Amino acid sequence: MKRHTAPIRALATCVLGMSLLTGCAEQSDDTIVVGLSADITTFEPGMISSRDNANIARHIFGALFTLGPDGEHIPELAHTLEISDDGMAYVYTLNQGLTCHDGEALTAEDVAYTFNRIADPANRFTGNTPGFVFSSIGFESAEPLDDLRVQINIAQKNPIAFGLMTEVYVYCKDAYERMSLDEAASNPIGSGAYRLASWTRGSEVVLEKVREPGNFERIVWRIIPEASTRTAELIAGNVDIIANVVPEQVETINESGRASVQVVSGTRRMYVGYNLSAEHAAMPGGDAIQDPDVRRALQYAVDVPTICRQLLSVECERATGLVNPQNANPNLIPYSYDPELAGRLLDEAGWPRGDDGTRFFIRMQAGQGRYVNDVNVVLAIVQYLEDVGLDIELELMEWASVYTPLLRERSMGPLFFLGTGGGLWSPIYDMTDIARVSSGTNYTHWSDSRWFDRWPDMVNTEDLDEQRVIIDEMLEVFYDDGPWLHLYFQPDFYGVSDRITWTARRDEHVEIFEASLR
Amino acid sequence: MGAYIVRRLLQSIIVIIGVTLVSFLALQAGGDPTYLFVSERASTEEIEATRQALGFDRPLHEQYLSFVGDLARGDFGQSLSYRQPAMEIVLDALPATIELTLFAMILALMLAIPLGVLAAINRGTAWDGSITTMSMVGQSIPSFWMGIMMILFFGLYIRLFPISGNVPFLKPLIAGDFAVAFSNLPRTLYHLVLPGIAVGTYSLARNTRLVRSSLLEVLEQDYVRTARSKGIAEFRVLVHHALRNAWLPVVTIVGLEFGFLLGGVVVVETVFSYPGIGRLLFAAINQRDIPLVQAGVILLASIFILLNLLVDLVYVRLDPRVKLDGGRG
Amino acid sequence: MSEERGDGSVLENPTESGFRSELRRAARVMVVARWPVFAVFFLTLAAIAATLGSWLAPFDPNRQNLVLRLADPMTAGPDGGVFLLGSDALGRDVFSRLLYGARVSLTVGFAAITVGGTIGIVAGLLSGYFGGWLDDLIMRLGDIQLAFPFILLAIMFLVVLGSGVWNLILVLGVGQWVTYARIVRADTLSLREKEFVEAARAMGDSTFSIIFRTILPNILAPLTVIASFNVASVILSEAALSFLGLGVPPDVPTWGSMLAESRDTLVANKWWLAVFPGVAIMLTVLSFNILGDWLRDFLDPRLRERT
Repeated sequence: MKRHTAPIRALATCVLGMSLLTGCAEQSDDTIVVGLSADITTFEPGMISSRDNANIARHIFGALFTLGPDGEHIPELAHTLEISDDGMAYVYTLNQGLTCHDGEALTAEDVAYTFNRIADPANRFTGNTPGFVFSSIGFESAEPLDDLRVQINIAQKNPIAFGLMTEVYVYCKDAYERMSLDEAASNPIGSGAYRLASWTRGSEVVLEKVREPGNFERIVWRIIPEASTRTAELIAGNVDIIANVVPEQVETINESGRASVQVVSGTRRMYVGYNLSAEHAAMPGGDAIQDPDVRRALQYAVDVPTICRQLLSVECERATGLVNPQNANPNLIPYSYDPELAGRLLDEAGWPRGDDGTRFFIRMQAGQGRYVNDVNVVLAIVQYLEDVGLDIELELMEWASVYTPLLRERSMGPLFFLGTGGGLWSPIYDMTDIARVSSGTNYTHWSDSRWFDRWPDMVNTEDLDEQRVIIDEMLEVFYDDGPWLHLYFQPDFYGVSDRITWTARRDEHVEIFEASLR
Repeated sequence: MGAYIVRRLLQSIIVIIGVTLVSFLALQAGGDPTYLFVSERASTEEIEATRQALGFDRPLHEQYLSFVGDLARGDFGQSLSYRQPAMEIVLDALPATIELTLFAMILALMLAIPLGVLAAINRGTAWDGSITTMSMVGQSIPSFWMGIMMILFFGLYIRLFPISGNVPFLKPLIAGDFAVAFSNLPRTLYHLVLPGIAVGTYSLARNTRLVRSSLLEVLEQDYVRTARSKGIAEFRVLVHHALRNAWLPVVTIVGLEFGFLLGGVVVVETVFSYPGIGRLLFAAINQRDIPLVQAGVILLASIFILLNLLVDLVYVRLDPRVKLDGGRG
Repeated sequence: MSEERGDGSVLENPTESGFRSELRRAARVMVVARWPVFAVFFLTLAAIAATLGSWLAPFDPNRQNLVLRLADPMTAGPDGGVFLLGSDALGRDVFSRLLYGARVSLTVGFAAITVGGTIGIVAGLLSGYFGGWLDDLIMRLGDIQLAFPFILLAIMFLVVLGSGVWNLILVLGVGQWVTYARIVRADTLSLREKEFVEAARAMGDSTFSIIFRTILPNILAPLTVIASFNVASVILSEAALSFLGLGVPPDVPTWGSMLAESRDTLVANKWWLAVFPGVAIMLTVLSFNILGDWLRDFLDPRLRERT
C-alpha cells in the first residue's frame, strides 16, 4: 500500500504548498535521487567510457562476476570461473534461469555474443570495454560451450584478466541483433536489476526496478554540473547522494543537519610525472629531471600533507608508489617535507641556485576540472617547487580536447600533473600502467631495466609469495628512482542525505543496490 | 514586396552558408579531434582506425563539402559523443531554452512597458530618476553574477525557488500531450523564475529606457501637441496617438532580442545547470563534437535570421514611410 | 556676442577656440547632471588601480597562503598586512587581485575596442565611399557575423586558438567591428555627396585623402558614444568568457575569473569572493554606460535615434 499512497502524499504536500519551499521534489520513500556532475552520453555498452555513465549502466546490466568494495571477486550472473593451465581460456558457468529485461533467456550464447559484438571492428565501438579491457587482456574470441558455459579466449596469460572482465556488461543476442546502433544507444535492454524508464538528455535518467537486488523502486540520476548547486540541492533535500563534493563545501553540508559527507580514500593515484622521453630531455629542464637524484630531491620539496589538509580538507593517504596502500610495499615510507634537504640534494646533483635565485627553468602542464580541486592543488605544487628554486612555467589546459590528446601521444611535460585510476584487488593491476616501456599509459617513457626486465618474472611466477617478493623489489626501485613525484591517493567526497543509509566505495563505483531508507 | 522577400531570403541563405563555413573551420583549426573518441587507453591502431572511421583523415575541403551535401539532404550528421543524429539532440534541448528565453522576454516586456511609460510621463521627477537609475544599473550587471547571487540567496538563505533543473512544458505540448504539459506548467514556471530573472534583467533595463525615450520623443512631436491643444484628454493622447507610434522601434528591438537572448543564455544555463541548448553547445564545443556544434549553431543562426526577416517585414507593414531598401544602418 | 545652440545652451564667446569652449560646456553640463561626475570619479579610481596597482596592492596577488585560505574580510594576513577583502581558496588577497584585475579588464576593454573600432571604421569608410560590390561584401560579412550569437563565436575561437590575453582581445575586438562599420557607412554615405567633399574632389585630392582627411573627422563624434557603450559591453563579455574558463591564464587575476573561482565556495558562505569582483564589474560597466549616455546627450541630442 505504501507504494501507492506515497506519490499521492507527495502530490498533496506539494499542493498544500509546504514543499514549495523545497522546490516540490519528487522525494518519496520508493525513490532515491543521485546528483551527477557530468552528462551521460550513451547506453550502448560498447561505447561507455565515463565513470558516471558506467555507474548508471551498472544498474541496468549485469556482469559475469563483479568486484566488491574491498576488491573481492564476487559471482553475479555466473557462479564459477575456471581458468585453463595456460591462462588463455576462461570458462564461466552461468546461473540457471537468467533472463534479460525483455524476457529473453540469458544463456552462454548471449554472453559470447556480448563479447564478440563489442569487439567487432565493424561496430567501431570506442568505449572502455573494447578500448581498455579487451586490449589489456588481449581478447580474441568468445564461444558458448553449452547452454550455461561460455569460454573467453585471450592472447596470453594475464594475472589480472579476471578483474578486468568484471567490467563487461552482459546483454541478450536477440534484442541487440534487432536494434540498430542508434537505437541501442538510447534503448538499453539489460540483464540487471533496473531498467531504463526515461532519459532526458542533459537533465536526468530514471531507472525502475525489475528484480533484486535493490531497496528502491526508482533511482533518479540528476545531472547538475555546478558544484555549489549540487550541494545546495543536497542540503535542500532534493537530492540524496552527490559525488564530487568540493572540499570547501564539506563543512557546510555537515553543519546543515540534513546531510553529511563521507570521505573515502580513493584508489586514484595522483602524481607529478617526469616525462623522460628523448624529446623532452632536450627541453629546458628536461635534462635535469633525467637524473634520478634530482627527481628524488624534488620528492622532499612538496608539502603533501598540507596540500591535503588545506585544499582537500582531509588527511589523505600518502603515496609511496603506484600501488594502493593495502597492496603496496609495506617497508616504504612516504617522503617527508624537507625543503632544505631538497635544496641540498639539488646542489649536490649539480643544480645550484643561479644569480637570480633559480636553479633551472622547466614547464609544467596540467588539465583542469578533472580531479578534486585540481587547479588549486597544481598551483600549490608549483609554489612549493618554486620555493626550492625551480622556475616553472605552468600551462593549465582544458581537459577533454587539449590535455587528453597530449596524454594519448604521451607528450605532455616535462612536468605534468595526472591522476590514474587504480584498484584494490591486485597490486599488479595498479602496476599495469607501466607494464611495458611502450605502454600507452607509460606517460613518462620510463625505461629503467630494473623494473621492466622483472615484469615477465613477476607475471609468470606461480608461487604467490615469490611473486610478492619480486613486486616489493620492483616497487622499491620505483620509489627510489621512479618517474613520479608521489603525492596522494585522491580522497573522494560523497554527500549523503540523512534520509538514507549508504556507504561509499573507494573505487569510484557508485552502486545504489545496498542503499536504503533510514 | 515579393522581390524584396526573395532578395532577403537569398541573403539569408548566403549568411547561413557563411555560418556553416565559419563554424566548421573554427573547430577544425584546433587539431586532430580523433583523440576525443577513443577510450583512455587505446592503442595506436585503434586510434588510426577510429580516425578513418570518423573521416578525420580526409582533406578539409572534402570534409566540408560532404557536410554541406548532407545538409542539403537534411542530414546533419551524427553527434560524435552521443552517436545519434545531431539535429535530433539539438532540437531536443531547444524547447527548454525557448521556455527560458520566452519567459525572460515576457517578464522583461511586461515590466518594461509600464515602467517606461511611468518614467516618461513623470519625466524629471524622482520616479523617472529612480527608474532610469535602476535601468542603468540593470544594464551593468553581469548575468552570470546575478545568477550566482540568486543561487546564494535562494539556495542557501531563503529556499523559495528551485536553483537547478527544468520541468518540460513545450516538449509535451508539441508532442500533443496536453494533459502532461499543463499539469507541468506551474512547476515549469517555478523552475524558470531564477534563471529567467538572470537572463532577462539586461533586457528589462534596456527596454525600459527604450520605451521611455521612444515615448518621450513621440510626446514632443507636432501631432501630439496638436492633439493636446485640441483639448483631448491626456490619457487618450497617450494611448491613441503617442503609444501607437512609440512602439514601432520597440517591436524591432524585441523581435531581435529573442535571437540575442538565445545566444546569451549560455552562461546562465551553465550557472543554473539548466538543460538547454546553451549548455549543450558549450559542452559540445569543448569536446569538439563538430556535428553537434554545427547543428546547434546553424539552428540558432537560422532562427535569428528568420526573426530578422520577420521583423523587417512587420516594420514595413506598420510604417509605410520606411523604404524597403537601406532602411537599416 | 552670443550664439544659441541646438540644445538650448548659449555659447558665450563664439570666437573662442572651439575645443576649450566645448570642454567648459562639457564640465558645466556634467556637473548639473551629477551622474556623470560619479562615473568619471569611479573610472579614475579604476584607472589608478590599473596603472598603479602594483604599488597599491598590499600583497602579491598570486602569493598563496594555504593556511590562511578563505579568510573573512579584515583578517590579519602574513607579514603584518591585512586581508582587506578577505582571501580566496588559495589564500591570495582578494583586494590585491581586485586591483590587478582592473588592469586586465580595462586593458582588454580598450584594446578590444581599438581593434574593433579600427577595423570597423575602415570597413565602414570603404563600404560607404565606394559602394558597389565592396559594400555588399562587407555588409554581408557583417551579417554573417551578427547571425552568430556572439558568445558562441567567441567560445569557439578561444577553444581553438587557445586562451590568453591577446587571443581574447582579438576575439572581442573582431566581435565589435560591425557596429562601428554600420554607423560609419551610413554617415559616409550621407557625407559623400556634400559640398565640401565635392570641393575636395574638384581640387584633385587623392581618394585616400578624401576619405581619411575630409570625411573621417566629421563622423567621429557619434563614434565616441558607441565606443563608450562598447567598452562596457566588452568588459561584460570578457567577464563572461573568463567566467567560462576561456579568458586569461589562471595566474592572471581578472574579475571574471575571480567570479568563476568563487562558484565552488558559494555554498560555504564565502560571500566576499563573489560580491566584490561582481560589484567591481558592475560599477565599471555602469560608469561607461553613464558616460556614453551623457556623451550622447552632450554632443547632439539628435544622435539619440541613431545610437
